[in-house]
Amino acid sequence: MIDSSEFFLYENPDESTVSPTAMTAILQTQKLRVEFRTRELRQPVKIALQGLDLQVNAGEVFGFLGPNGAGKTTTMNVLLGFVPPTSGSASLFGIDVRQPIARQRIGYLPELTYYYKFLTAEELLRFYAKIFSLSRAETDKRIPELLKLVELEHAAKRPIKSYSKGMQQRVGLAQALINNPDLLILDEPTSGLDPLGRMKVREIIQRLKNEGKTVFFSSHELGEVETVCDRVAIIHQGELKTVGRVGTIMGNYPTLEKAFLNIVGYQPQTAP
Amino acid sequence: MKKVSPGYWLALLLAACFTLATLFVPRAGWWNNAPDAAHWNGRSASDNAFRMLLGDGRKLFANEFFTMADVYFHSGYYPSMFDAHESELDVAAGAQGKAGDSDSTSDDFLGPPKNWIDALGRNFKPNKHTHLDAGGASGNLKTSSVEEILPWLKLSAEMDPQKIETYTVGAYFLRTSLHQPNQAEEFLREGLRNNPRNCEILFALGRLYYDNYHDSNRARNVWLLALKKWNALDAKSKADEKLVSEEITVNLGNLERAAGNDAQAIHWLEAAQKVSPAPAALQKQIDEIKAKMAEPSSSPTNSAR
Amino acid sequence: MKTIFAIAGVVIKELYRRKDFYVLFALTALITLAAAAVHFFHEPNIIRYVKDLCLLLIWIAAWIITIATTARQIPMERESRTIFPLLAKPVTRGQVVLGKFFGCWLASGLALVIFYLFFIVVTGSREHYWPLLEYFQAILLQWIMLGMLTAMTLLGSIIFAAPSSTVTIVLIAIFSIWFLSPHLNVVALHNPEPMRDILYAAYFILPHLEFFDLRERLVGDWGLVPWSACGLAALYAAAYTGLFLLLTWLGFRRQNLST
Repeated sequence: MIDSSEFFLYENPDESTVSPTAMTAILQTQKLRVEFRTRELRQPVKIALQGLDLQVNAGEVFGFLGPNGAGKTTTMNVLLGFVPPTSGSASLFGIDVRQPIARQRIGYLPELTYYYKFLTAEELLRFYAKIFSLSRAETDKRIPELLKLVELEHAAKRPIKSYSKGMQQRVGLAQALINNPDLLILDEPTSGLDPLGRMKVREIIQRLKNEGKTVFFSSHELGEVETVCDRVAIIHQGELKTVGRVGTIMGNYPTLEKAFLNIVGYQPQTAP
Repeated sequence: MKKVSPGYWLALLLAACFTLATLFVPRAGWWNNAPDAAHWNGRSASDNAFRMLLGDGRKLFANEFFTMADVYFHSGYYPSMFDAHESELDVAAGAQGKAGDSDSTSDDFLGPPKNWIDALGRNFKPNKHTHLDAGGASGNLKTSSVEEILPWLKLSAEMDPQKIETYTVGAYFLRTSLHQPNQAEEFLREGLRNNPRNCEILFALGRLYYDNYHDSNRARNVWLLALKKWNALDAKSKADEKLVSEEITVNLGNLERAAGNDAQAIHWLEAAQKVSPAPAALQKQIDEIKAKMAEPSSSPTNSAR
Repeated sequence: MKTIFAIAGVVIKELYRRKDFYVLFALTALITLAAAAVHFFHEPNIIRYVKDLCLLLIWIAAWIITIATTARQIPMERESRTIFPLLAKPVTRGQVVLGKFFGCWLASGLALVIFYLFFIVVTGSREHYWPLLEYFQAILLQWIMLGMLTAMTLLGSIIFAAPSSTVTIVLIAIFSIWFLSPHLNVVALHNPEPMRDILYAAYFILPHLEFFDLRERLVGDWGLVPWSACGLAALYAAAYTGLFLLLTWLGFRRQNLST
């Protein structure tokens, strides 16, 4: 009835949860299905994901694309443990996502970045560092590095409520990197950023890739996806339409955008 | 046209309301058939802030504050409205020959604990009958003084200047336990100003002169005035305050007896007998005085009288 | 435990960076000092009414601070979306509940200590008498009660949609419990069946806050409560606190959180 693993954090996960076939896959979903039931009577069950099979390998930058309402955010919510799957499975580093230890080596940047407004950037990073059980010395070393990386050294001691949207986005990036994660999950990382900010994010993603980290992100900026990603998956109406290298998916289309529109079945309206 | 800030309109509106209020309030008596505002209900002209704010509703607070004084006198050991109701039922049951669940003596309204929660809870609240003038809960007269009840009595008097027992109880403790007869006199005189026809306050004042100032003449005069005021009451008020007249006449009798005016003493005690609930006790005193009068006296003073 | 105390630390920072505590403290101080400035019958040593008033204000202020701080913890985390970066870390929902509980409880304890320090200074300056052990006992019991209240409010914050409704409902509930629960057994006696059974059941089920209210004893100088009774009261509070926290965790873990 009560699963105590949801309450306590295991230091050493049970080996039975590690799937032998997923050793090279950092992120994996198998026949992942998510249904949402509403409380209203006679309303059909909403199927957000229909048997999603996805695999992201170590060291790659993986783009997760789809129109609005396709199921991208639901997939991320399942991977992060916010929403339980109706059926199927999802794992991070071979550990079932329902176990909190699965998130020990990931960093997450949500699309809408809100943090404790009464804390300063430094206090926020220190708080998250404690959650990852980083030592004091490690924390004191990481925080200035991250603040320099996201160009927030000058505002580190100011409360977050005084930050602009761009600054809050950069704080979000810093907190996603506090534990030096092996997998970074980014939800629309360049949303709302000016061109300089977007370039900065691209640079960070490239740098992480060079360090051998894995990046999994969703975005509507197909131009950026084309530039940065090794592989992409396109999802539409809860179903995985295609997955593969950018070049392969583009095929004969001149841009990824045109390929995307074709895959999701967009029909341009002809003039009368 | 230049746009005017809403703040200016608000300020103008407030000024207009204030002006209208100052214009109309003094003239407001006409719709209450009063000749002028002074005769309206006096509330707006009152110098008492509580009266102005609360009107007659302040009298409810007066009773509560008087009860608070009693609560403080017992250092918090006091029945709540639920305990009081249960005590009444137990007493009523006892009067009908039925056994109650709890001890129905007035000293212990709590009775034995009803369950484990009640038993545990008694550790955390006052659980013994004590009086502040005897040192209260700690038994230490230095840290527990009956002066602690005074704020509540003062507030009760402010809330309801017509509540007589506030003045009499306050004056009693001021002159006896706290040895402040001048404060007691001031409080009683305040009561008299608010209740000029009241004989109980005059009686208390007489007690103060007699007990504290040892001024028999003044006490006599005040008690005689109190009796005069009692006699001027209507029949119903006289019946309600019968015991006050008994106290006045008994005290006058005792005063005259102490002064050696035995005939006067007998006169007052006989007057007290007519209204006393214990005439036999008074008769005993009268008989003692008569016996003393009948004895051959060796004192020249007594012979002269 | 590090995670729990890290979350608790954030709650404490939030308390002293918000204005609620300072406003309530200033009000309490103002009213107490105004009451103490009045002299009745030229008696300078009258102090019990000041103690009574100050303790009542402390009691009410502590409730308001505890309930207002706790009621907005989880709902505001969801509304401001700070719950997502938090739960995306290796943090369980149980740890979030416990962290919020300890944070609110410790924060209310700190506020209580400051209020009582003011109380001790004001009353001691007039009484020249400091029953410190009695004051410590009163603070301890009140703090234990605030733990129960914190857990109850956390549960309310999971059930009700908005912090304002949680605050209103919990305040009404706690005032009613404080006022009525010690007397429900007496009220039950005067009611016919089945109301009598219902009231008796309510009497035993509802938490009894009178075990933690030592104001009358402090004002009346009644001395220490037996420590064994305090221990039993603490166990009683711990049982209710544990129950409320368990229910909160069961409710919170079932909630879907969608970004």
